[in-house]
Amino acid sequence: MSLGFDGFGSAYFDGDSPEPQEVSLHIAAGMLQIGLDDGVTLRWPVEEVRQLPDLAGKSGTVLRRTIDPLARLYVTDKTLLRHLPHLTRRAPPKGRGRLAAWAVAAVGAVAVQIFVLVPLLADNLAGFIPPEGERALGEATFGQIREALDETGLNPLEICEGADGIAAIDALVTRLSAERDFSRDVTVSVLDHKMINAFALPGGFVVLFRGLIDAAEGPDEVAAVLAHEIGHVVSSDPTRHALRSAGSIGVLGLLFGDFAGGAAVLFLTERLISAQYSQAAETGADEFAHGVLAQAGINPGALGDMFASMKAKHGDAEGVVAHFLSHPSLGQRIAASQAMVDEDIEYTPSMSDEEWTAIQQICE
Amino acid sequence: MSETTNLNSPWKSAPKPQNVPTGTGAENGMGVEFTGKRGALFWLALKTGFFTILTLGFYRFWMKTRLRRWYWSAMRPGGHPMEYLGDPIEKLLGFFIAVVILTFYIGIVNLLLMFVSFSVFNSSVIGYVLSFAGVIPLWFYARYRARRYVLARTRWRGVRFGLEKGAWGYALRAMWYWFVTIVTLGILWPRMTFLLEKYKTDRTFFGSARLLQTGNWPMLYRATWPFVISLVLLAGTAVWTLWWDPVLADVSDASLIFPMVEDVFKGGSLEAAWLRPERLLLYPVALSGLLFGAIYYRWVSKRIMANHKLGPGVQFASALSGIRVTFIYVLGNFIAYLSLVLGLLALMLLAIVMFGGGAFLMPEGYLGADVLGNLPRWLSLGLLAVLYLTFFLMWGVLYNTFVTFPLMRHMARTTSLPAIAGLPLISQRARDEFAEAEGFAEALDLGAAI
Repeated sequence: MSLGFDGFGSAYFDGDSPEPQEVSLHIAAGMLQIGLDDGVTLRWPVEEVRQLPDLAGKSGTVLRRTIDPLARLYVTDKTLLRHLPHLTRRAPPKGRGRLAAWAVAAVGAVAVQIFVLVPLLADNLAGFIPPEGERALGEATFGQIREALDETGLNPLEICEGADGIAAIDALVTRLSAERDFSRDVTVSVLDHKMINAFALPGGFVVLFRGLIDAAEGPDEVAAVLAHEIGHVVSSDPTRHALRSAGSIGVLGLLFGDFAGGAAVLFLTERLISAQYSQAAETGADEFAHGVLAQAGINPGALGDMFASMKAKHGDAEGVVAHFLSHPSLGQRIAASQAMVDEDIEYTPSMSDEEWTAIQQICE
Repeated sequence: MSETTNLNSPWKSAPKPQNVPTGTGAENGMGVEFTGKRGALFWLALKTGFFTILTLGFYRFWMKTRLRRWYWSAMRPGGHPMEYLGDPIEKLLGFFIAVVILTFYIGIVNLLLMFVSFSVFNSSVIGYVLSFAGVIPLWFYARYRARRYVLARTRWRGVRFGLEKGAWGYALRAMWYWFVTIVTLGILWPRMTFLLEKYKTDRTFFGSARLLQTGNWPMLYRATWPFVISLVLLAGTAVWTLWWDPVLADVSDASLIFPMVEDVFKGGSLEAAWLRPERLLLYPVALSGLLFGAIYYRWVSKRIMANHKLGPGVQFASALSGIRVTFIYVLGNFIAYLSLVLGLLALMLLAIVMFGGGAFLMPEGYLGADVLGNLPRWLSLGLLAVLYLTFFLMWGVLYNTFVTFPLMRHMARTTSLPAIAGLPLISQRARDEFAEAEGFAEALDLGAAI
């Protein structure tokens, strides 16, 4: 049995010339028969005919044959389509292996970049930045952080400037410094924000949040955190970290495309504040803090006390998560801190009650 | 550099467009139809956009492909649909290739630039400027490559289009023309527009036929008049209201402005000082004029150049209306951005209810406010993120529906081929294998439009 279709307005393109050829259309014996004007009849098995996807408009559709990448048949009589069983069947996938290889390469390149090359380069370069450059880098990032943390969107976050409080902090830094003499290289600021945190920036900037002072149960805990952050400054961890971020952020922005412009900046700020240094860097800063505190006659266990109250409030990230957070888990750090306490020594408080009150009121 | 030579050109001397009468018969050339309904496109964009969000952005390669297939098949020169054959997998692969190459460039180069910037100049500004400047040639390069890919995957009547290699040449020229344009304060902008278009057109093929951009760059000055007039109006207004006959009577001395503005903020009245302030309305008029002038120039220059595009025995004509295009842009963008802004406002309100304790906004228990407030934090953050993405999705869908669609339709319907005698002589060209597709353009985020 042969079925005829309306060929008016239909056209066949042979895939070589952009000239439409008029056709007559029949289906017979499982073949779509395309009769051309020069007497030639093309026979396309009906199960090999495909329709081009996502075609706009209702007038006319375009058919092709699976084994011929070029020839096209434009048909206007849509009753024909009912007789073609596999119109929308997909072509078997090809080139998937190559795709997988490049996908792995892309992920690998990003990983190598972020976890190996950038840190390596940053660590090596950090030592070569002159102090003025480091200072400028610190000032720039400090400004960005203050703007990012501001919730009103008008002014950068306020730096607290209570004169007595500043004097008390300076006295504390001088006492911690002793012979190591880092007091001139360190600038301590308090930001008026309720976050319980502290961080160090390149160029010797150490920043405490008011929330941390409020949460501390005594001056020694603040002194301990200060000593820890100064530990980072002394080993120039923040400079390395800032250089690393500069390298990694561009890569991440590249991956995420559209809305990532803003997200990358937020991410940068987040990373700088939470300052997830390597485990070694954190342990080093802890050890530095223990040493400095003990030398100044302040109880080195105070750092552990601070962590203990943080743990009580926020819990601890153990296991895999802790590894990614790159902080040695708090439990270990508390234990390390408490192991430093020497029972035979009588520790003195880090500051007088008046000084502690002044620091607590530094933002008022 | 102004006259690119055409190797393999079928012409002995430079050809010029003929004045061909247009008509409906085959001997009188052909028009371009546009089929396809706005509603169908809306659903396609919505559906593919939704999948894109579900797959965290990976479906965007499929989305782009499907939208292009739709647009291409809607444009029908001589009644036969164009065909887009880009492969999403090919695009994804190209994106990966670009990521592999660009990560090293962007990461390491940025780090080194930052280091140098802080070591030598004590500031980050130089680093940012250099880092940005380094991407500019890549940007032009990527644009040319993307065009090459799209043309290589476009067919009409079964015959491929194509663009010759030459992305670095394009990038170098583009940067030089931009430099010249900036140095001459924009006076040579039409020269840049024309020469870059000529570079691309002269390397474009349909099958075996090479296209040629004829004409010259001064002809584009015709398209600049709305912009120039608006600029003159703006300058004139500024001179008139600030210097010649100041709106604020005492502003001859600039130091007096700030105390006066302060007075206004303190609730004082400034009426006594105003001198015919209605003249200030000229500013918004002049600025809207500038916007109109920019759109008008962009599209009318396209029209003028289209009227000077030739193939062997084939000629193009365009009757595009700059005013119509401006109307489409303004209305379409207004609709798309309105939905985005309204959506983001709603989102902010919801966020306040969730995190700020909405008690001061609504009474306790009203509309389930306390239920919203008591959701676990990760859940509410996730919900907000999904809504945020949804509003961007809606923006994209509306932009497609109300800007891209009417633009394409207007472009298609105003384009015609008044001379097609050369078509039967054209034959197929070889496939342009192009592994990296438009990966660079995708990675550098140039693919905002279709």
